[in-house]
Amino acid sequence: MTFAFPRVNRVSGSSSQLRKGWPWVSLFYAHPDNLKERENMADDSYTRDEENIEEEEVDETSFRAVKDAILFAIDVSSSMLEPRLSEGSKKSGEESPTSAALKCAYHLMQQRIISNPHDMIGVLLYGTESSKFYDEDGEHGGDLSYPHCYLFTDLDIPSAQEVKELRALAEDEEEARKILKPSKERVSMANVLFCANQIFTSKAPNFLSRRLFIVTDDDNPHGDSKSQRSAATVRARDLYDLGVNIELFPISRPDHEFDTSKFYDDIIYKTSPSDGEAPAYLQPDTNTSTAKGDGISLLNSLLSSINSRSVPRRSLFSNVPLEIGPNFKISVNGYLLLKRQEPARSCYVWLGGETPQIAKGVTTQMADDTARTVEKSEIRKAYKFGGEQVSFTLEELQALRNFGDPVIRIIGFKPLSALPIWANVKHPSFIYPSEEDYVGSTRVFSALYQKLLKDKKIALVWFIPRKNAAPVLGAMVAGDERIDENDVQKVPPGMWIIPLPFADDVRQNPESSMNVSPDSLTDAMRQVIGQLQLPKAVYEPHKYPNPALQWHYRILQALALDEDHPGEPEDKTKPKYRQIDKRAGDYVLAWSDELDATFSKMFGGTAATKSTLVKRGPKDGADSAGDPPAKRVKIEDSTGGAESEVKRCYEKGMLSKLTVAVLKDFLVAQGRSAAGKKADLVDRVEQFFEQK
Amino acid sequence: MAEKEATVYIVDVGRSMGERRHGRPNTDLEWAMEYVWDRITTTVATGRKTATVGVVALRSDETSNDLQEDPSFSKISVLSDLGQVLMPDIRRLRAAIKPSHTNKGDAISSIVIAIQMINSFTKKLKYKRKIVLVTNGTGMMSNDGLEEIQKKIQEDGIELAIMQVFSRAFVPFNLANPAKNEALLRDFAESCDGIYGTLEQAVSELEIPRIKVTKSMPSFKGFLSLGDASKYETALRIPVERYFRTYVAKPPSASSFVLRSGTGTEQEEAGAGAGQPSSDGEALTTVRMSRTYQIDDESAPGGKVDVERDDLAKGYEYGRTAVHISQTDENITTLETFAGLEILGFIHMDKYDRYLHMSNTNVIIPQRANDKASLALSSFIHAIYEQDSYAVARLVTKEAKPPLIVLLAPSIEKDYECLIEVALPFAEDVRSYQFPPLDKVVTVSGKIVTEHRNLPNNELHQAMNDYVDSMELDEEELPIDDSYSPLLHRIESAVRYRAVHPNDPILEPSEQLTKFAHPDKELVRRSHGSLEKLVSAANVKKVPPKTKGRKRQRETEKPLSGLDVDALLKQEPKRTKISPENAIPEFKQMLSRADSLDTIHDAVKQLASIIETQIKHSLGDANYERVVEGLGTMREELVDYEEPALYNDTLRALKGKILGEELGGDRKELWWLIRKSKLGLIDRAASEMSNVSEEEAKEFFSAN
Repeated sequence: MTFAFPRVNRVSGSSSQLRKGWPWVSLFYAHPDNLKERENMADDSYTRDEENIEEEEVDETSFRAVKDAILFAIDVSSSMLEPRLSEGSKKSGEESPTSAALKCAYHLMQQRIISNPHDMIGVLLYGTESSKFYDEDGEHGGDLSYPHCYLFTDLDIPSAQEVKELRALAEDEEEARKILKPSKERVSMANVLFCANQIFTSKAPNFLSRRLFIVTDDDNPHGDSKSQRSAATVRARDLYDLGVNIELFPISRPDHEFDTSKFYDDIIYKTSPSDGEAPAYLQPDTNTSTAKGDGISLLNSLLSSINSRSVPRRSLFSNVPLEIGPNFKISVNGYLLLKRQEPARSCYVWLGGETPQIAKGVTTQMADDTARTVEKSEIRKAYKFGGEQVSFTLEELQALRNFGDPVIRIIGFKPLSALPIWANVKHPSFIYPSEEDYVGSTRVFSALYQKLLKDKKIALVWFIPRKNAAPVLGAMVAGDERIDENDVQKVPPGMWIIPLPFADDVRQNPESSMNVSPDSLTDAMRQVIGQLQLPKAVYEPHKYPNPALQWHYRILQALALDEDHPGEPEDKTKPKYRQIDKRAGDYVLAWSDELDATFSKMFGGTAATKSTLVKRGPKDGADSAGDPPAKRVKIEDSTGGAESEVKRCYEKGMLSKLTVAVLKDFLVAQGRSAAGKKADLVDRVEQFFEQK
Repeated sequence: MAEKEATVYIVDVGRSMGERRHGRPNTDLEWAMEYVWDRITTTVATGRKTATVGVVALRSDETSNDLQEDPSFSKISVLSDLGQVLMPDIRRLRAAIKPSHTNKGDAISSIVIAIQMINSFTKKLKYKRKIVLVTNGTGMMSNDGLEEIQKKIQEDGIELAIMQVFSRAFVPFNLANPAKNEALLRDFAESCDGIYGTLEQAVSELEIPRIKVTKSMPSFKGFLSLGDASKYETALRIPVERYFRTYVAKPPSASSFVLRSGTGTEQEEAGAGAGQPSSDGEALTTVRMSRTYQIDDESAPGGKVDVERDDLAKGYEYGRTAVHISQTDENITTLETFAGLEILGFIHMDKYDRYLHMSNTNVIIPQRANDKASLALSSFIHAIYEQDSYAVARLVTKEAKPPLIVLLAPSIEKDYECLIEVALPFAEDVRSYQFPPLDKVVTVSGKIVTEHRNLPNNELHQAMNDYVDSMELDEEELPIDDSYSPLLHRIESAVRYRAVHPNDPILEPSEQLTKFAHPDKELVRRSHGSLEKLVSAANVKKVPPKTKGRKRQRETEKPLSGLDVDALLKQEPKRTKISPENAIPEFKQMLSRADSLDTIHDAVKQLASIIETQIKHSLGDANYERVVEGLGTMREELVDYEEPALYNDTLRALKGKILGEELGGDRKELWWLIRKSKLGLIDRAASEMSNVSEEEAKEFFSAN
């Protein structure tokens, strides 16, 4: 992953297209990282297509666009606007359910710009005094189609302006007060639902996934009014028939538990046979814990449950047979639960008009000799061989890729401990049973899952995820369910298929000198390690947002909204230096002494050392003024000396006297790039000291 | 750089090589050439100029070599001098290597010729020298000066390999002195440290894919550090290097070509046949991409206009807002980072889920030739190993590269110690899709059930337990070392094969590549009983393809409360006419209420007319997605209601109107979209009730 640019265009053929060093439009090209492995221009788009096929979540059966649209419908009533205090919380916490919902919507909007850049989101407020729906604003007379419905953010891929407006509404009270005024008259739920219907129908036609997120604390909006209720029920049915899923985020009032049976059970549909014993997942999540409590915890639990449904569940492959033994199959679906999130590629922006616009690239394939346009069916694929091309038809090439129908075939079992920690090439796929092709799949899968979990075993599988995908050998590992502190599922139960490397993918270990640590030295290091366990001795991905990704979008947001530079990036992946020093500092010094002692015992000073093992403090070196009298780590190798030499030269402004080798060593030791000419190196060293 | 190579292949083309033996369909020569071609094309595939090959024919009709003055070197021709072999050479050799009409020609003499060729080509330079002789050993052989030749071979450092075409047991008695020849060749090969083997063995070894050894370069050189060395005196830094441990070897990639204009058509007519590339690849020309740039413009025909490159700046999308970045700000979105491998903390081995591995793996080893670093790293490796821990660290491989969070695991072998490093997911890399538990069922009413058709009963648990145990693999390790990338080797061998046999169809993958496609036969036999018990305990039923994807039962379409909404709908008087703004729900509801075919007809007619209106009024492609959704819904429903003809008639009529430009002008793009969305005629494969064949449905779409 990198955002460095300009993108080096290794794939362009003709230099005339590379005028002025323009970066290429990324729509066409593979990520630069991938390009490293390629040699050849014409391949690129093709290979990229193939890679996309590998990774993209596809639904081959449907005519619908694999896109998701979420419309928030947020209730704006006086009880929803009532601020709830957070007791005992350090932050001055006053949060009304409406503002919590708006913050969630804002959060989700920002998040989806990064994770689902082609999906839509919108915000509809209902129960407001004012109304707004496309060209109706309630002020210029005329009948309102949807009174007390206020379409705050139209359903679309959000623009920077909309992000800003939503943030203002969620955070700026003055802004909010203008719009968030509850109406005196009760809003008709039928109308709200039909309003949503119209928004989805016109703005997100043919989307595979359309979801209406209702956030409300009113479990019975129409009381005993039978006609209002049945009108709402009919409109809810329309949404169901349109393929819109209603997901309810109920909020309990301080004195009243939200009761879905009063109204919402008539609005929300389950998608499974009406079997009383049906597993809960087959119905929409009405059993999500209702958000309640004070301001902060309300916000957190709402965030947690909205986050858990932020992306629609899309399968990577569906109904692939899991062949447990010869002629014994069940069916499973595959999902990508872990996938590196990359920043969207750069693109071309057209600046010729009033507002900048994204320019789309259109590719035409031409024959090189006559420049005539080429049809896809004419194309042959050829490999370089012996100075010429060895060619295949597209059909032949496809046949070469074909190793049989998609399958996950178990070829045996091994203990989990037989799976080496190094045997990995990419992220895993997650599988979960499906009853669609084989009735009984779930119970068989469950039995296998429980057996593998209990005995810590893995299955070795031959894995072809979809038609014409290259087969891999995989280790199928059972994974237990994990629940977070808000009772929301963090990791689902199921099995993971970890692709194993082939013999071709295993590299030889490079030569390395080995000096086995004696027990005394190892023990000293154990002391250090013992002090520095992560909380609960577990790695929790959600605690580590990708700093480069977040920064990229933070800057884009600032640029798009013409805001000030956001200053220092937040980076949770940086070690907690102060704590490390406090907790383990003394043990490190003890280890360092032990290392020196062991080392001189083993080598008597004859061995090769090139670099500092324990770094001296910043004060150590030229100026000895504030040297602590405490025990110091002794270092007698050259680099330590060289470092202070560089510093001395810097202070005297004589860096250019140093040799390139010394400057390079110094920069590398500081994690700085050591590329370029001497002047560049000197500049960088100066920068280094200036920053300190 | 790889070593220079000079290899001479001596192929026995004597008359007797043209015979077929042991029921093989091909001649001895053809069989021998399988081996020789494989070796030669493997060399060609490297594309290296310094990997040179020469070919000599033994017992050829002609005589053509540098020593031909001497009669003892007759019937030996140099077909190809040492040099890089290219496609034209392959074609030439293919034509030249045929069984001759003679059995004369001395194998030992041909070796002398080969030595001579190597000598004059390589001079005294550093080369890997090799002679490969493939013969059936039936010719006359003279043992004159054998010792001298042996000496020469050894002096020059030439590797000699002699392949015997048939094994001794099958030596036909009518040939001249085969046993004596064999002994002679064997002694000769062995006396100069060469190899003597049977072709059978050599050909069978061809099946085993050869792995390309790639020398790894360090992807990071820097410090493994604990604490901030610039601020704290207690910071620990160990100089380390990072190399790939695994890295996926990609199959070679193909480029796009088309037949060269003019010559192209002739070529095809010239009998190369349908789609078969001709043996000379001359007629191909590369395909170039030409790119233009467009922006949306509602006023333009088609809604798009081309723009000049010069008006384009680099930028990114933030939502649907275009953010351009001036060249001076190029790196503005790049996070400032400095190279380093910094430890965040430690986790417990048992609490790590193996599936969190996100990438290929690397090894972290101490800086080269730094004993203190190696001692220090060793203490770290041993300490985390003894603590049953892994380290979690932040890795930046180069200045300004984005940071990664990595896991560092100890790896201690008898003669090698290192850390294994692999990337871990960030918060954004985890997608939270929810799935119900697999060991219990929570019902709608919130009850927890442990006996359910989706849960295994005791019998199934036991059967699964026994089956899994019976299928335990015997080998100690996972078979990583004997598993070869099927796609990579299949493509590589297909390319090599086609280079020599341009008109043959592609081959099936070799057995070695699909070795792990099925469980071992012995294992299957052993676990057969357990499997039978498992199958009966599981009682899995295949869903007949017919009912799959069929419409859900109507009664399931009820809200959670079970309220009968259909009854409510019937009371709604206005819903006999489908309204354009709520067309899809009302269409579905009308069908579900329909008690006669007329109602269905009516519903379809109404929806069709709504769709046509949408097309007519569509500004550019504005309504196209709605149209596709409407048509798609109609198609789905009518398949379910088993009324395919209604859809097919509608679609036929629509096609006529679209292509006849009756619906607001040129709507070809819409027709293309309908094709892309696979909304064609409902054929018999999709619905039994259809009278449209699959070919007809295809035809309907292909013809414009």
